[in-house]
Amino acid sequence: MRLALRELRRRPGRFGVATAILTLIAVLLTFLGGLLDGLEAGSTGAYRAQQGDLIVFADGAQTSLVRSRIEPEVRAQVEDAVPDGAVGGLGSAQLGGRLEGRGPRDLVGTVVFGYELAPRGLPDEPPGPGEVYADDSLRSEGVEEGTVIQLGPARTELTVVGFTSDAKYSGQGTLWGSVDTWRQVLGENRPSAAVGEGTVQALVVAVPDGADPADVAEAIDEATGGATETLTIAEAIDALPGLAQQRQTFSQIIGVTVLIAIVVVALFFALITVERTALYGVLKALGARSATLFGGVLLQAVLVTLVALAIGVGAALLLDAVIPAGSLPFAVTSGRLLSSAAALLFAAAVGAAFSLRRVLRVDPASAIGGGA
Amino acid sequence: MQLALREMRRAKTRFGLLIAAVALLVFLILAQQAIQTGLITSFVGALREQSAPVIVYSTDGQRALQGSIVPPPLEAQIRGVEGAAAAGRIGQGTFTVRVEGDDDLSDAAIIGAEDRSVGGIEEVDEGRPVERPGEAVGSTGDFEIGDRVQVVAVGVAGAGEGPVLEVVGLVRGAQIQVTPTLFTTWDDHVAATQTVNPEAPTVLPNAIGLRPEDGITAAELAARVNDLTEEADALTRDEAAREAPGVAQVQQSFQIIFLLFALVVPLVTGLFFLIITFQKSASLTLLRAIGIRGGALVRSLLVQVVVVIGGGLVLGTLLYLPLTRVEVGSLVLRFDGAAVGVWSALLLVLGLLSALVAARRVLKIDPYEATVGGGAR
Repeated sequence: MRLALRELRRRPGRFGVATAILTLIAVLLTFLGGLLDGLEAGSTGAYRAQQGDLIVFADGAQTSLVRSRIEPEVRAQVEDAVPDGAVGGLGSAQLGGRLEGRGPRDLVGTVVFGYELAPRGLPDEPPGPGEVYADDSLRSEGVEEGTVIQLGPARTELTVVGFTSDAKYSGQGTLWGSVDTWRQVLGENRPSAAVGEGTVQALVVAVPDGADPADVAEAIDEATGGATETLTIAEAIDALPGLAQQRQTFSQIIGVTVLIAIVVVALFFALITVERTALYGVLKALGARSATLFGGVLLQAVLVTLVALAIGVGAALLLDAVIPAGSLPFAVTSGRLLSSAAALLFAAAVGAAFSLRRVLRVDPASAIGGGA
Repeated sequence: MQLALREMRRAKTRFGLLIAAVALLVFLILAQQAIQTGLITSFVGALREQSAPVIVYSTDGQRALQGSIVPPPLEAQIRGVEGAAAAGRIGQGTFTVRVEGDDDLSDAAIIGAEDRSVGGIEEVDEGRPVERPGEAVGSTGDFEIGDRVQVVAVGVAGAGEGPVLEVVGLVRGAQIQVTPTLFTTWDDHVAATQTVNPEAPTVLPNAIGLRPEDGITAAELAARVNDLTEEADALTRDEAAREAPGVAQVQQSFQIIFLLFALVVPLVTGLFFLIITFQKSASLTLLRAIGIRGGALVRSLLVQVVVVIGGGLVLGTLLYLPLTRVEVGSLVLRFDGAAVGVWSALLLVLGLLSALVAARRVLKIDPYEATVGGGAR
């Protein structure tokens, strides 16, 4: 082990190229992971912010908020099904917003949400008519407390009275107001999607303490005679259009990248082991065990990978800091960094293991001319 | 040359491993290129395939067809623009549908065009274009000719049956928003919208399709509309596809991934040949000492690089080939010969450049070292 460490210290240049390649792979892994997390965070924030446990959609809406309609009669049935829980309406409308001082074609993408059960970070009582809380991603667009945003072709004016965080939806900043404000915005700007008094797109349900959300969801759908499709928040997130495919595609790319890391480590340490065959013969003749020699290879692989990871993680953090808000969906999370690190260390260990056979095959007799 | 190839034959595992690594990287790059193209086609293929050379959104729509609403005064302004030979309403909505014979409900984007020649589908890959209400052209892979697709009303008490559209034609790469897409008449689009929302007072067009008069280009007509009013956002067909929300972001993200992979390939190759050169330094010194010129040794090295990268490219392309015959989720991946050509050339050049470090080391070998054993160092 000491020998392996000393070699790393004395001849760092020998490991330089392998470190450079692994660093690139580490950057790739963290970048791919950051991209996936950024895309997910930008699509799911509004659902993740919900403090309720369930979202009730109209059956047949394919869990799409804009296609779902819950009318007052169905809502009453849902409320009856959870007498000790809390039920609140939810509605959304995706519209371009105009800000004072910006060009007539320079619009900000927003999604207006009407809520009754307060999401995380918002007061229990929704703001008054024409007032909204804004997701703090909109700050980068110049939105401040007191900013008036003119929404949609009807230029419906909404005043920002505060901010909430991590509540993006469909990749856009959100505005949170009362359900009445949402109905007004929808009716004025999307006449073909306008809804009547009492109608919402979905219901958020907070189940009573101790109740199993899955059981309550079943009870709700039963109580409405199948007119609803009730999902837990996690299920609703998974059901967002394209999210599962996005995860699958990125996971496959990340998987193949890890495979390439295994090949790179295997290639590099296999060559280094070939180069050291004579040296290993001498060491074995002096009594060194194969396990010790392989341990040295493994240690070097892990250390080289750790250096690459440190640079890769640093690059990801730097990228996260320098990417202008809204330009690229990129988010760095500790969980993702840890899983990327674990994947690369696993790749290093597996890659180095390819050298094990060569180390075991080294004959101590080769040290005294017995043939390697 | 012979020596280079003989060395490769003798050390099959060593060179095989490298060829495998390069092949994997090539496969990954080509697969991602196909995914990027497939993803963008699924996002905006419908815009590329529709017939209107110019699409006019409302500025508020932010270049998203479903997000744009063209109110009557704006529509009148657009229709009145000088140089337009034809204008027609285009509407789009995403609906829950039931395909006759299927128990499950599914999603479909329905694009209705008032005039098939400005916003509909004129040329189909199978079947025929829409000729009357109740007919639709579907995106290939999502529908079959003869399918009867009914729009389903969701959560609306007292809603009637939705319109039934019969698929009479198919067109490839014509999805919008990664959703199975049907092109139909404006009337059917209105009927579908009113089925899912009977409370809707009116159904306004999402965009207006324009065809320029002879002698006027689509870009000129779009510029005229944009000069007319700031409420309108007119784009040529290509611009509408290129500048749809999300397309630039997808391209940007993939470009960074491509760049990183493009760097990994030459680095892996360069590393390999550098190590090989280190290992062979004694033999190379000896060869130099018996009169083989440095240039000949470098040529051998470059032959090996070309064989390795070439082998990797061939294997990677062979791995990529079956991928382009399957569907990944709702994405249709296609074999892109141009992408294979461009990446092959690029990776070959980068691979050869990466071998320059090893070549420099070969050229620096001093034949004299053979007499003092220095080459073995």
